[in-house]
Amino acid sequence: MGGAVSPVPATGASYRIAVDTGGTFTDVVLAGGDGRLRFAKALTTPARMFDGCREALRVAGEELGLTVDELLAATDLFVYATTRATNAIIERTTAPTAFFTTEGFPDVLALREGGKMEPFNFAIPYPDPYVPRRLTFEIGGRIDAQGAERRPLDEDAVRRATEAARRAGVEAIGVCLLWSIAAPAHELRVRELVHEAWPDVAVTLSHELNPTIREYRRASSTVIDASLKPLMQEHLNAIGDDLAARGFAGELVVVTSVGGCLHVGEVAERPLHSVGSGPAMGPLGARRYAEEDLGAGDLIVCDAGGTSFDVSLIEGGVVKTTRETWLGPRFMGHITGLSSVEVTSIGAGGGSIAWIDAGGLLRVGPQSAGAVPGPACYGRGGEAATVTDAAVALGYFDPAYFLGGRMTLDPEAARAAVRRAVGEPLGLSEERAAWAILAIANEAMIAAIREITVNQGVDPRECALVAGGGAGGLNAAVLARELGCATVLVPKAAGTLSACGAQFADVVAEVSVSRYLTTEDFELAAARTVLDGIDERLAAFAARLPGDMGDRAARSYAVEARYPYQVWELEVPVERDRIVSGEPLDWLAERFHDAHERTFAVREPGQVVELQYWKGRLTAPLDAPRLGAAGPADGEPAAPAARDCYFEETGVVATPCYGPAALAPGLTIEGPAILEEPITTVVVPPGCRATVTPLGSFAIDVTGAGR
Amino acid sequence: MSATTEFDPILLAVMANRLDGIVREMTNTLLRTGRSAILNTARDFSCSIVTADNRLLSAAEGLPIHIVGSQYLTEAMDELHPDARKGDAFLHNDPYHGNTHHADHTILVPVFCGGEHVFTAVAKAHQADCGNGQPTTYAAYAKDIYEEGALNFPCVRVQRDYEHVDDVIRMCRARIRVPDQWYGDYLATLGAARIGERRLEDLVARYGVEAVRSFCDAWFDYSERLMVRELRELPAGRLVGTGRHDPVPGLVPDGIPLRVEIAIDPGEAMVDVDLRDNIDCVPAGFNESRACAISSVIIGVFNQLPRPVPHNEGSFRRIRVHLRENCVAGIPLHPTCCSVATTNVADRLINITQSAFAGLGDGYGLAEGAVGSGPGFGVISGADARRGDASYINQVYFASSGGPGAPSEDGWLFYGIPVCAGLMYRDSIEVAEQKYPIVIDEVRLLPDSEGAGRFRGAPGSRVRFGPADRPMTVAYVIDGHHDPPRGVLGGGDAQPHDVVRRTADGAEHELPKVGAVQLVPGETVVSVTNGGGGYGPPSERDPERVRRDVEAGYVSPGRAAEVYGVAVLRRADGRCAVDAEATARLRHDDSGGAA
Repeated sequence: MGGAVSPVPATGASYRIAVDTGGTFTDVVLAGGDGRLRFAKALTTPARMFDGCREALRVAGEELGLTVDELLAATDLFVYATTRATNAIIERTTAPTAFFTTEGFPDVLALREGGKMEPFNFAIPYPDPYVPRRLTFEIGGRIDAQGAERRPLDEDAVRRATEAARRAGVEAIGVCLLWSIAAPAHELRVRELVHEAWPDVAVTLSHELNPTIREYRRASSTVIDASLKPLMQEHLNAIGDDLAARGFAGELVVVTSVGGCLHVGEVAERPLHSVGSGPAMGPLGARRYAEEDLGAGDLIVCDAGGTSFDVSLIEGGVVKTTRETWLGPRFMGHITGLSSVEVTSIGAGGGSIAWIDAGGLLRVGPQSAGAVPGPACYGRGGEAATVTDAAVALGYFDPAYFLGGRMTLDPEAARAAVRRAVGEPLGLSEERAAWAILAIANEAMIAAIREITVNQGVDPRECALVAGGGAGGLNAAVLARELGCATVLVPKAAGTLSACGAQFADVVAEVSVSRYLTTEDFELAAARTVLDGIDERLAAFAARLPGDMGDRAARSYAVEARYPYQVWELEVPVERDRIVSGEPLDWLAERFHDAHERTFAVREPGQVVELQYWKGRLTAPLDAPRLGAAGPADGEPAAPAARDCYFEETGVVATPCYGPAALAPGLTIEGPAILEEPITTVVVPPGCRATVTPLGSFAIDVTGAGR
Repeated sequence: MSATTEFDPILLAVMANRLDGIVREMTNTLLRTGRSAILNTARDFSCSIVTADNRLLSAAEGLPIHIVGSQYLTEAMDELHPDARKGDAFLHNDPYHGNTHHADHTILVPVFCGGEHVFTAVAKAHQADCGNGQPTTYAAYAKDIYEEGALNFPCVRVQRDYEHVDDVIRMCRARIRVPDQWYGDYLATLGAARIGERRLEDLVARYGVEAVRSFCDAWFDYSERLMVRELRELPAGRLVGTGRHDPVPGLVPDGIPLRVEIAIDPGEAMVDVDLRDNIDCVPAGFNESRACAISSVIIGVFNQLPRPVPHNEGSFRRIRVHLRENCVAGIPLHPTCCSVATTNVADRLINITQSAFAGLGDGYGLAEGAVGSGPGFGVISGADARRGDASYINQVYFASSGGPGAPSEDGWLFYGIPVCAGLMYRDSIEVAEQKYPIVIDEVRLLPDSEGAGRFRGAPGSRVRFGPADRPMTVAYVIDGHHDPPRGVLGGGDAQPHDVVRRTADGAEHELPKVGAVQLVPGETVVSVTNGGGGYGPPSERDPERVRRDVEAGYVSPGRAAEVYGVAVLRRADGRCAVDAEATARLRHDDSGGAA
């Protein structure tokens, strides 16, 4: 992969390495001075993560004629992304953790914030709390909503709880007391008392980690973070040590869930930030390619794999974030409580199985054939008709060139499965049945995209759709047409969008403060204090950055606001200087009214606006690699082959299929056509027109304009 | 049932998904923009789509008790407003013309495409206040609509040409406590219906009126087919379920006896539910409205179906509900008060119906779930010194109460009451204390409060709270004190619902089970909620489940031995283990060798 080999850079050239250690594969993306990205893959080695990295680095270095040590010595920046924390939570291998809570509220983690899917279904088991009740300890003392002490801290209770937790074998303690965000004295004193008796135990205080109102999400953040500390500190230390031992002397940064990086020490102190960081990177890769390939604009980013379809949103160049990120299903899992890149994920992919329900309705998924036995066309004993089988039956995949020729498909098995599962029961022809499977799969994806756009006031018709993942190109043009997007972009790096994104991550620190103010009786002094506090923390963070990075950092601010008595907020960007200047806040209210009307169809002019969360964000750019133009195709562009494909508009039609060698930059291709890359296949339906961009990406115009 | 075969099966699935998506978008709008906690936290609202010929098409994710009835509201719109046109919206809360109760303000937006009425978008939302004589939306005390005092809107026009009819807005502002909050909730409800209108217009523009109409018929037929399959698999039988709402001194001193007769005919794939053999309407707010009586028993039927069936006109065709006029569980006539129609008797009817199905044998039906809205789900009101003594009134959701045991699983922990069945969110303690001048001292699940069973009910809880620095009134309507939720097929009953006032000296004082208590600073109200009833004999419960319950603090070791016949040992580190030998002895002795 990576196209033509570039000349070895002269001595002194510097590299930037991004590594993504997933559950199965470790991906390496290497950027050199020429702007060309190089990709390598190796199996993940959980026992010693660096072993897997080293193998992938060896492959990447080979292309440049460098050993791993030479490569590392010439590397300035090492961006490390890992699913270690996420997997530890899923596999329940985090440290045994105690939860210290305010007396009277031992069930905060069990009750969560309520809510249930399927209220008519009584067969769903109630999910366990993150920390069991036997490791939950109630601490006397109470702060009220105004930050005043109603009852003093019961220091003996802290000592008793510490002793009991130690006897029970915990390795970490999460402390979340009511209203610690208004007055942290009790939480701070708890840590002192714990460490007096037990200096080595890892402790997380809720007001330091995530000073947000709502005790469940703050407590959830706190105990998850505490439970990750022993393991993540060990893990990150080992990576740092191993890199140093091989001669790496550059900066080591770790990818976070908000789509940025933090220095390794920061993440070791607050490992919660690395949870869910994997899907947060895809949008960064998408954004970078879209800037080059399409220019500016809002983007819907889809990442379609074998079992899941992830959607995220980029508005005005900013990746959309949320504070509603759950580990596991909503209501059933555990909320992280942190601001993270918003990813709507549904279980729909190439492996999703088509079936007919008892009422005669065609359904696709959520069951998946997985890798084993896999779709029927894999020929591994799978009998179910999957989305991949439907695509094969329609002629979209070249049976001989699946995964760049690493796998051969059995088209007859695919067709038979489609006939058996869908065609015969519904009385549809084989092609119509296959097309129906894709259409139903598309509907779930359209709903997921609408949820993250329309539900939040973003009009998909004003966005371009960026399709990543191995299965992304299959239906991207159809999704775009249904949603009214004019353009689809399938980036050159579509197959490894996440790993690629890590190359474009900046150092990002976010500080969020919960402070209730209103536009009616706005307390300017309080707002100044809040913003000064945010600035102070951002400045302290900037001061720890190496070199002049802190000086180059930019700051931005936002407030999450609502009408009186609403409990769910909308985020509105603000300018710090306008807030602190004392100028009337009509402009801010107006921005909120506009956002509310855009999202919810109504506005209430003149109504007071409540301001609940204040956010500051510091972005220190890491010099991102320039994207170099794709090299010319080797030799003469090959003429496209033709294959019979089925489209709704045309029926079965001989369709030109372009292999990699035929796809030279600048080429324009009218649909119907199939574009085949080693790790992704792009379907250009009739009426659409694809252009190969200078970077080797595909831009598809789905409007039918110009014809 | 033959029309479906003519409709394109692909388009059927596509359009069904899209309609559910539209209702979800309406729901999200109301949830995110609602001002009162009853909307943005308790989710006491529903959004639905009704066809122009008054058939309920989709009510995805709505509150269960709102499941049926939108079609009666649109019937009233047709009858009263033959001149309805694009840009209109109607406000309807009249329980004698199809609404649930006065506190539910419904906005109806007729959707026109090319001048033709195709759908009506419906959004129904419970209000923080609806102008009742007392500061509560549950006027249990009222013998008729006049004592109740609610503003009644029998489907009145509230928008024309997308502009508010200010007359109506002024009436509401003049008679509803917290008028700004009401107006905000009105906007939220209207916004949800208007969002539905926009999306339905898009849908019709995309597919055309004819295709959309054919789709509706096909979708009803499909839903009916799924329902037929479920009913064909039930044994034939006649079931009679009985129960009683708690006595309330001065209002219903003997309680309200209730009887649900169910006839199942698998051959015809029909269920008949007869509520006519119940007492006449009572001179209090407990009477059902027609919509609530029908919804309650339909919920009871759907709750115990093993597989999901869409809730619409098609599946409802297979359930006949028989009601009579002037019946406590039937059709109330003006001026009968049905202010509490959506909860108390409705909750009992759901419980009685779902537990009656257990009469078909092991594997069928459900136990009973927690009932009553005690102070932890009460309506608080007073003045807030932090905001210049501005008055506040709102329903709170601090408490947790137990869901019923089921054939294959334990009860859901944060269940609420049968009419919402776990759908609602829970108040954050901190958000509640920020919004209202109150202090909450305790929210705790209580050990040994569950109805024991092979699959137990979920535990109940204790909640304690009081005012911060000004007097506060807490209004509540407890049920399940005298007759707590029952188990089925050998399962045990749950802990009774109760309430006391605790004065500053720590002394506890009895309180009426239905009422409004005024608390002064230093006092608190202490409420203990129901657990859920158990399913099947506790002696058959998997000892591992009992061990986990003891470890989690839901069941004490003593109760584990006495009721479940499982000997559980607790170690110093809090972990628990089953003593297999002792358990064998206990189960042998207690259950006559059944284990």
